Amino acid sequence: MEFGLFFELSVPRPFSDGVERTVYENALEQVRLADTLGFDTVWAVEHHFLEEYSHCSAPEVFLTACAVQTRRIRVGHGAVVCVPEMNHPVRVAERAAALDIVSGGRLEVGTARSSTWTELGGFNVDPDTTKKTWDEYVRVLPKMWTQERFAWDGVSFSMPERSVLPKPVQKPHPPLWVTVTSPGTELDAAARGIGSLGVAAASFAEQERRTREYHHRIRHCDPVSSVVNDKVATLNFLYCHEDARHAAATGMRMLGLFSFYNANLLPTREAYPTRAYQSLGALAPTPGAEAGSPGAPRGIPDGIAIGDPDRIVQAIKRWESIGVDALNFIVNTVEAIPQEDVLASLRLFATEVMARFRKGG
Amino acid sequence: MLFGTADVDALAARAPVMERLDTEPLVLPGTWVLQVTYEMAAAAREALLPPALHPTDPPLLSWTLLRCTSGPLGAFAIAQLRVECRSGLRPRGFLVASVIDSVDAGRVLTARWGYGSRAGDVHLARQYDAVGGTVRLDGRTILDVALRDPDPLGPHDIQYTASMHLAHTPRGVRLVQVDPTFAVERAERGRPHLVAFDAAAWGDVRIVPMHPVSASIAVADVTLPRLRYLCRPDVWAFDGTETL
Repeated sequence: MEFGLFFELSVPRPFSDGVERTVYENALEQVRLADTLGFDTVWAVEHHFLEEYSHCSAPEVFLTACAVQTRRIRVGHGAVVCVPEMNHPVRVAERAAALDIVSGGRLEVGTARSSTWTELGGFNVDPDTTKKTWDEYVRVLPKMWTQERFAWDGVSFSMPERSVLPKPVQKPHPPLWVTVTSPGTELDAAARGIGSLGVAAASFAEQERRTREYHHRIRHCDPVSSVVNDKVATLNFLYCHEDARHAAATGMRMLGLFSFYNANLLPTREAYPTRAYQSLGALAPTPGAEAGSPGAPRGIPDGIAIGDPDRIVQAIKRWESIGVDALNFIVNTVEAIPQEDVLASLRLFATEVMARFRKGG
Repeated sequence: MLFGTADVDALAARAPVMERLDTEPLVLPGTWVLQVTYEMAAAAREALLPPALHPTDPPLLSWTLLRCTSGPLGAFAIAQLRVECRSGLRPRGFLVASVIDSVDAGRVLTARWGYGSRAGDVHLARQYDAVGGTVRLDGRTILDVALRDPDPLGPHDIQYTASMHLAHTPRGVRLVQVDPTFAVERAERGRPHLVAFDAAAWGDVRIVPMHPVSASIAVADVTLPRLRYLCRPDVWAFDGTETL
């Protein structure tokens, strides 16, 4: 089992001077600690205009800072939005290759298509087209990284022959993923031979079914590249403390706030009727939505890594048993947990939980 | 975290009265539903909503026009102006105002679901190239919108959010959750086009349409439901939601 940190870079109101800087600096401190503790990957989203929920609109900059401040941990786009109005595919390839060089070959590249009207509308993107443009991007990126010269006559873009530079350190290229929010996208990933980067909550039973179908489908994939990334990663929430009651109260406050801010996003389908976006895409397990405020203590949903070390170990063993390869943790939301407590949670998790999933642990 | 900041007393001053809350469902068969959505100016996004509700980002308004040609209320057409919002974790639309062309139907809809509609002319015109909706009040056009260049959608591709209607109820001033079901028979989407909108006539000059988002037209059996939830307008929905 691999373990990662997953950053939305959520910022609490009021947006006073320095608050965004504090969020970024705290996140970087968490990444530096995670690097020394043996976490495998740090992921950063790409979101635009999402007040409070995510101020991570330039993940390549944040991830570059992560890379230069660490030695071992991998850095991952979770994920680059693959629509031309936001990111031209050549710029995606160029920036990724440069980051792969700067990080010494530690880059993971997640791909996505954005799901909110706030973002798509802000860039004047036609929601009906994003699945098509994403599909085109994941096919051309490996070509741009591996071919000496590249030309394309496509649907979302065309270009004459050019050398797309630089080339990535990892050969043939960094691992490719797609973020999975809506059920079924994991099969799109499998069909193309790319990793399934889950960013939506799923029950054990649901994830087991999806993982089984993903592994079945990827055996017969038509890969977009000469290498297949057959990993399944899922999103989780981490707050680890020796006192189970304290862990539950603190961790569930974080989870409740994340659920609230996530529910307050404006899904594309709510504003714009389309068959291209079928799911409203709740990213967090919703604990008793009408039953209390986001800060009220409630039961910890199955599989969520909130609790004392023994409880978290049991949850992770269950994820491991159903074929999940990696868990990526959100460790704070709108700075609801003091930074020192987040760091202490990471340290305890590393010594009492992560060690038991390493060789010899 | 953003909350509505509207003065509840001021909103309540123009809210309708509902004597009872134990209404039974009502089916409006074969109803035409035109919905046009615009982004609106963000400056007043909190000021338009009571503290129970949260604004969306960007703030959205929807005009929803229903034309019902048969059913228990007879033929009528109603136009609603709603501001999209959240009640706790749920997507909702806060009803700002509505206009109806049948006094009798309006009386029923207000008494049982808190629509509080004023009497006026509501017209919905279907052509091959466009669907137009107009609302006239006291002889003045207060809304003229259209869906242009319609394209077919699947019946499940349209999502309608439930409404929150502020009303004087037996439990006091409450937001009444009205979540009709729409059994869509056919649906189309087109480009939204706004010709005229009189914000003052709809009750709040701060509602300023800024950017077109979408327009849809559907034919559906609309079921106005049994009421299930109320919400105190002055506290957030996590604390103020009441089950009927």
